[in-house]
Amino acid sequence: MRVLTLVSAAAGLAALGLVAVIAWPVGSVPAPIELTGDSQRGAYLARAGGCIACHTNWDEGGPPLAGGAPLETRFGTFHPPNLTMSASAGMGNWTITQFARAVRQGVSPDGASYYPTFPYAFYANLTDQDIADLWAAFQTVPAVDTPAPDNEVPFPFDQRWGLKLWRAAFLPAPRTEPVEGKSDPWNQGRWLVEGVTHCGACHTPRNIAGARVMAQKFTGADALPGQDKSPAITPDALAENGWTRDDLAYALQSGIMPNGDTFGGGMGEVVRHGTSFLTDADRRAIATYLLDEDG
Amino acid sequence: MKIHTILAAATAAAIATTAIAHEGATGIVLERMKAMSAMREAVKEMTPMMRGQVQYDADAVRAAAQTIESHAGQAMIELFPEDASREKSYAKDALWQDFDRFADLAMQLETQTRGLALAAANGLGGDQGGSGGMMGTSSMMGQDTSAMMGGASGDTLSAEALADMPADAVFEKVSQTCSACHTPYRTKPE
Repeated sequence: MRVLTLVSAAAGLAALGLVAVIAWPVGSVPAPIELTGDSQRGAYLARAGGCIACHTNWDEGGPPLAGGAPLETRFGTFHPPNLTMSASAGMGNWTITQFARAVRQGVSPDGASYYPTFPYAFYANLTDQDIADLWAAFQTVPAVDTPAPDNEVPFPFDQRWGLKLWRAAFLPAPRTEPVEGKSDPWNQGRWLVEGVTHCGACHTPRNIAGARVMAQKFTGADALPGQDKSPAITPDALAENGWTRDDLAYALQSGIMPNGDTFGGGMGEVVRHGTSFLTDADRRAIATYLLDEDG
Repeated sequence: MKIHTILAAATAAAIATTAIAHEGATGIVLERMKAMSAMREAVKEMTPMMRGQVQYDADAVRAAAQTIESHAGQAMIELFPEDASREKSYAKDALWQDFDRFADLAMQLETQTRGLALAAANGLGGDQGGSGGMMGTSSMMGQDTSAMMGGASGDTLSAEALADMPADAVFEKVSQTCSACHTPYRTKPE
């Protein structure tokens, strides 16, 4: 009898806890953004940030930003959504404040948490001006009224409230702030690498819950979407593999490695649709920071 | 006699090295690995010239481009028959599931390297700034948001159109095509 009481009390508490978690609001509502955006700069950020690479289905010849190729992970298959300004299928009805919350906090306009396949954790330090620029750039993309398919995520990972617990346990703040005594290119590289270009999303291993293991930052990962794997990109590992700053900057431009081979896997896509569009100065900044060299 | 022994040993060593490098691949799989290696060497030869690290040599670029062209197009497609052994191969099943697209990329590589051979005499484009060459035609350079936001990239230009471009801009298209094919269809060597 006593045991039964205990069990039912525990079950009651658990249910209450679950209700609390489901009701628990995540993120915060950003202050209104009234800045004028520069669409050219926003497009540049959208290249650097991988928006265009990931949310366009290049293999199928899909229209820009109308939804990307599926990401097959051990948690299920994720379909990067349509980010065009379609009111029915994309972001056409969003406000810039909702956009800011989605990008910087990973929270949808209806308050749901995004899955961390969307690397919002890296975008948390984007300024209001960055957001306004991105928002202006997205306005220039032709609307496509076909929504991306729903994610195919089996139980229990389809329970989005679980992501609130995930956020509480695992959400690291990006370390993009400049470091005193380091050169401008190094600090610019840090802003890019730790933030918008989110190198760690693929080059840092993830734990059983799909969160990055920060103690093993940039040591490479072997369970990427599509059973892809990534090499280590710590300064030591890069140097050991013969990478110089020039070689690395050039590889980010061309996809060509020092031995004449070209990148495949996810990195081929990153270069083709992302870093090849950056300035030489930014590619050198990325290489400077990754190799931890002086400017 | 001694010379013969040394030569034989050297030959054996060379064969062994090749076999190790290709991890025991044989037949058509070994053939395509050799073709890929030849193309890699051609890219490696051109790269320092395209980067301005060594003196640009139009004849060398033309020859290297022709080497790649000879392994591209139909020659490449024929090295990937559906029924070939997939053991000891870096090719993913996706290549055969999506064969038309693979074949398009192989043909695109042929067109682009023919264009590069024609453009070799044009030399380098000089300081055109970061993303210019890769955004397609020069009119799109830095100005057109639609190209920056994922619009048309000019990957399907004819060899004759490419022939008018700076060699390094065509070279970049070639390398993008290599990577575009390696991205979905090649597994990582290690």
